[in-house]
Amino acid sequence: MAGTPSEPSTGQVPRSSDETSANGAGGPAVDPDEAAIHVDGLAKTFDSGAEAVTAVEDVSFAVEPGEVVGLLGPNGAGKTTMIKSILGLVLPDEGEARVHGTDVHDHPRQAYEHVDAMLEGARNDYWRLTVRENLRYFAAIRGQDPDAVGDRHAALLEHLDLAEKADTAVRDLSRGMKQKVTLASVLAGDVSVAFLDEPTLGLDVESSLKLRRELTRLVDERGLTLVLSSHDMEVIEDVCDRVIIMSEGRVIVDDTVENLLAGFETQGYRITVRGADETTLDDLRERFDLTDIERVDGRVRFEVAADTATFYRLTDAMEAHGLDLAGVETVQPDLAEAFVEMTGGDARGGPGASADRQGWAANAGGEAPRASGPPASDGGEPR
Amino acid sequence: MTTAEGPDRGESRDPGSAAGRGQGRGPGSVAPPRTERTGGYYHLLKAVVYRDLLVWVRYPLNAALGLFMGVFFFALMFYGGTLVAGQAFSDSIEGLIVGYFLWTLSLGAYQGVMSDIQSEASWGTLERHYMTPFGFGPVVFAKAIAIVFRTFLTSTVILAVMLLMTGTTLELNLVTVLPVATLTIVGALGLGLVMGGLSVLYKRISNAANLLQFAFIGLISAPVFDLWWARFLPLAQGSAMLQRAMRDGVRLWEFDPLTLGVLVGTALLYVGAGYAVFGLTTRRARRLGVLGDY
Repeated sequence: MAGTPSEPSTGQVPRSSDETSANGAGGPAVDPDEAAIHVDGLAKTFDSGAEAVTAVEDVSFAVEPGEVVGLLGPNGAGKTTMIKSILGLVLPDEGEARVHGTDVHDHPRQAYEHVDAMLEGARNDYWRLTVRENLRYFAAIRGQDPDAVGDRHAALLEHLDLAEKADTAVRDLSRGMKQKVTLASVLAGDVSVAFLDEPTLGLDVESSLKLRRELTRLVDERGLTLVLSSHDMEVIEDVCDRVIIMSEGRVIVDDTVENLLAGFETQGYRITVRGADETTLDDLRERFDLTDIERVDGRVRFEVAADTATFYRLTDAMEAHGLDLAGVETVQPDLAEAFVEMTGGDARGGPGASADRQGWAANAGGEAPRASGPPASDGGEPR
Repeated sequence: MTTAEGPDRGESRDPGSAAGRGQGRGPGSVAPPRTERTGGYYHLLKAVVYRDLLVWVRYPLNAALGLFMGVFFFALMFYGGTLVAGQAFSDSIEGLIVGYFLWTLSLGAYQGVMSDIQSEASWGTLERHYMTPFGFGPVVFAKAIAIVFRTFLTSTVILAVMLLMTGTTLELNLVTVLPVATLTIVGALGLGLVMGGLSVLYKRISNAANLLQFAFIGLISAPVFDLWWARFLPLAQGSAMLQRAMRDGVRLWEFDPLTLGVLVGTALLYVGAGYAVFGLTTRRARRLGVLGDY
């Protein structure tokens, strides 16, 4: 995998093991008829001339049946536009989107047999109707006889802890419950592919945890294919198989959560030693990327970015200097840090995503300086 | 940052959480569930009509005020007119009742479809109606039927109160009145689709939309017998036919074929044009990415 600590810096973004292309380049290497979702060269620009805003640029990826993909990106990265373009709610300028092999733009009715979406959190259903009435209505407009699927609706409500509120008007429910009602109404039509845009937006920790558990269970039990857009990294880590990170309309990362986090192994050690004088520290600083050096009660504590090989070289060097090892901790990054790192170091994204990515990859060697300066690729061009 | 003991953080990770859920199950290991459809157009129409009525009664004040104001304005005209014009006004009361009935019907259809589209956009449900296996067209058509059905219910209540209030009797041959009134307000539905489509695109068009309501009065009272072209205007031909059916007892089959042809033709023309404009505006809204905005 490109970007792992043991590989040289290429500036490439991690790719999924299924060789999904991150950006264009002939589209995903997955049979469009086999994929649950197949997106190839999708592009959308709003307005024109000086006012033009490129929301989605040459996006390609595939999602296999039963896969759960997290969609991350700072505000304005193009996530919602991409989702709506895939669903045909926004007309893309270029590219195609298929759901279970059916082109959504050429044959929308066939495609909509399989797919539905929760687009704006708690909105998307009728607050004046009861929970059950919402489910029955949305099942009917998706081609289901509400009476015939009544048992399935009852089970769905049971699983989502909504059974007791089935005959309560949605407007009388809490925000968390409203979110779950929308989710239930999306699933009421027995779709096999669902897009969930910010499903945990505005939820408290407990409600978010519950919803995550339910999403995981529903995916496992029903074999749903999910694309889940969220700013909540914990949701993505918990629920998703794979993560697509967007910045400025482009896919900058497409990889498994596991690989994504593994790529940050390099950042990770906080070491405490005894017997280190300034000369020793100078030598170590010269050879390794030591940061946050501090003296505590006669001991020296520092952090170091190092992969496994670098770590062993460091311990060899410490042994050669006769240092007494007092403690070693790994500093474990989470997805939020990976995300911030890849999208340019600030929550709003912006220029520098690719440059920082290169910096991160370069830093994986442990001794190379972090890249800095202006963005080096199109991912960092201001628009 | 979080910390974990031990030099190899990879070993200390919980694969079921931080590494994502893909390790245990893996994508592609589950066959895609087949979506089996158990319903059809009947269930679609039934659900849309039921939902429309439910939402209407769940805003009880709005529903009650709508009915009350319908009766109140007629009462103002009736008692005011009787006071001012006396017997002369009473002689023309049948025409006023039929015209007012048609005005409430057409206004209900026009406003109903327009406000329904606007409300769906603001509730975030419009886009979900777009994503159905039936297609947006049939769903919007089902909504139009639901609105016409509800409008007939409310306007019939107002008609009954008007007849009671004035002590008037009218010919209410349903075989004649129902199709003529329906075809008449189909034209108003077309105008509602135009304004609904424009509201999807431009969001705030209330000034133009409200003005058009008053134009309905002129269309309903258009002199189709004096100006040949006036019968091709929306509502005009149907209004004239409804007057003859309800006041003079003319049956549907007693109208000449040309008159019936103009009624059907104008209804189809205006609803077709309205749907075409609605299709164009929603397509434009999709291109601009504003379909679900409000």
